[in-house]
Amino acid sequence: MIKVIDLKKNFIQSDGSSLEVLKGVNEEIKKGEVVTVIGPSGGGKSTFLRCLNLLEEPTSGEVIFEGVNIADKGIDIDLHRQKMGMVFQQFNVFPHLTVKENITLAPVLLGKMTEEEADKKAMQLLERVGLKDKADEHPNKLSGGQKQRLAIVRALAMDPDVMLFDEPTSALDPEMVGEILDIIKQLIADGMTCVIVTHEMGFAKEVSDRVLFMDQGVIAESGTPEEVFNNPKNPRTKEFLSKVLY
Amino acid sequence: MEFFANIVEILSKYWKVFLITGVSKTLILSIITVTCGAILGLLICLGRISKIKPLKWVLTALVAVIRGTPMLLQLYVFYFLVPKVLPFKVSEFFSIVVGLSINSACYVSEVFRSGIESVDHGQMEAGRCLGLSKRQTMQKIIIPQAIKTILPALGNEFIMIVNDTSLASTFFVGEVMTSYLIVKGITYLTFECLTIVAAIYFVLTLILTKLLGILEKRLKEND
Ligand SMILES: Nc1ncnc2c1ncn2[C@@H]1O[C@H](COP(=O)(O)OP(=O)(O)OP(=O)(O)O)[C@@H](O)[C@H]1O
Ligand SMILES: [Mg+2]
Repeated sequence: MIKVIDLKKNFIQSDGSSLEVLKGVNEEIKKGEVVTVIGPSGGGKSTFLRCLNLLEEPTSGEVIFEGVNIADKGIDIDLHRQKMGMVFQQFNVFPHLTVKENITLAPVLLGKMTEEEADKKAMQLLERVGLKDKADEHPNKLSGGQKQRLAIVRALAMDPDVMLFDEPTSALDPEMVGEILDIIKQLIADGMTCVIVTHEMGFAKEVSDRVLFMDQGVIAESGTPEEVFNNPKNPRTKEFLSKVLY
Repeated sequence: MEFFANIVEILSKYWKVFLITGVSKTLILSIITVTCGAILGLLICLGRISKIKPLKWVLTALVAVIRGTPMLLQLYVFYFLVPKVLPFKVSEFFSIVVGLSINSACYVSEVFRSGIESVDHGQMEAGRCLGLSKRQTMQKIIIPQAIKTILPALGNEFIMIVNDTSLASTFFVGEVMTSYLIVKGITYLTFECLTIVAAIYFVLTLILTKLLGILEKRLKEND
């Protein structure tokens, strides 16, 4: 579904120098697969994820999504992004719209649904995540966990083929982490293709088909959760896991 | 007490000068300036956040120059330059309006820009991730949130302009300060005349402040 070929990303820093953050990443994510990305801070996990939907423009390399190289300059990226949902650490819900409007805005504006259809869909989605009674509130009335639930269903309303999560629980109070992870598990059970950057090792172990360990701008190790967590081959993976697991 | 008697006397004789040469022209000048300034200011702001590099540079330089030089000096430049560069004959009033409008447009463009920048960058990203174009995200997500910061600042700019139009008196195009020059020229009562025009400006801006306050409250209630 998503194939990444020799993906490189340099950031120009404020002092003018160039920082190589992705140093040639190759990866293929298949339809229905659940891939989690783990690794130390600054290793390039977010940058990798954000390159998948061109939120960061790759310096070089290809990102092939459903057969099209979306890193190509001539492509209408907006069209392809409709098929890729993204959930951020900081929720990024729209504070000036009601909960329901947050969900209906894009499908209606992009002509995917009529207003009635979008309304109906929004209510279904809100019911599914227990926010039905908040439909007409503004997001400032919601807790962090509720905001993140809203952000997830907002992305789902576009009927994406893949969902990208960048540390969806890192900004949450501990007691709300579980509810968000449960919603993601539900999605996975429904067969959604997911790429999830996370620091929740237990969760990664439980839900992943494959785990990517990212460090210093490359995928240093990749394999099933058993392989990566129980039998890591790369010394850097071992070191990282020994720090986060105990 | 003679002072107040003089003021009453001046007002009873020359109120028409203050009102017609003065207040009405100041209001016209301000309204034209604010309108043109807001429209031009929006265009400048859009140009500055666009992807067209040369346009960006030119507008950034223009804003820097206008903000970095005295307004009176700018009005002199426009007063002499506008009639020279335009192929048809223009009034002095017109040249001054152009000068005031461009000056205010530059300040207003900064108001718009900082309003847009006050919106968290994550909002743009969230919009784009849903498949909205940059323009759709601006219209539906960024600008509605930026308005809250922009409107009060724009109101302040309006009040500033009312006071700034007094500089136009240098060119005798007629506004409150011009009416002061006229009446003082006849009566030689400098201090009394100054008091009157000060009161006029004060009342004008006070009314404006109140009106803008009401408007802002309305907008908040609509939230
Ligand atoms: N917009 C940017 N401009 C410059 N440097 C950046 C930018 N975004 C990220 N970086 C740098 O790129 C490197 C990788 O960042 P990235 O956010 O991808 O790491 P990460 O693995 O997601 O880390 P974390 O676990 O802390 O989220 C870091 O050194 C970061 O400082
Ligand atoms: Mg990150």
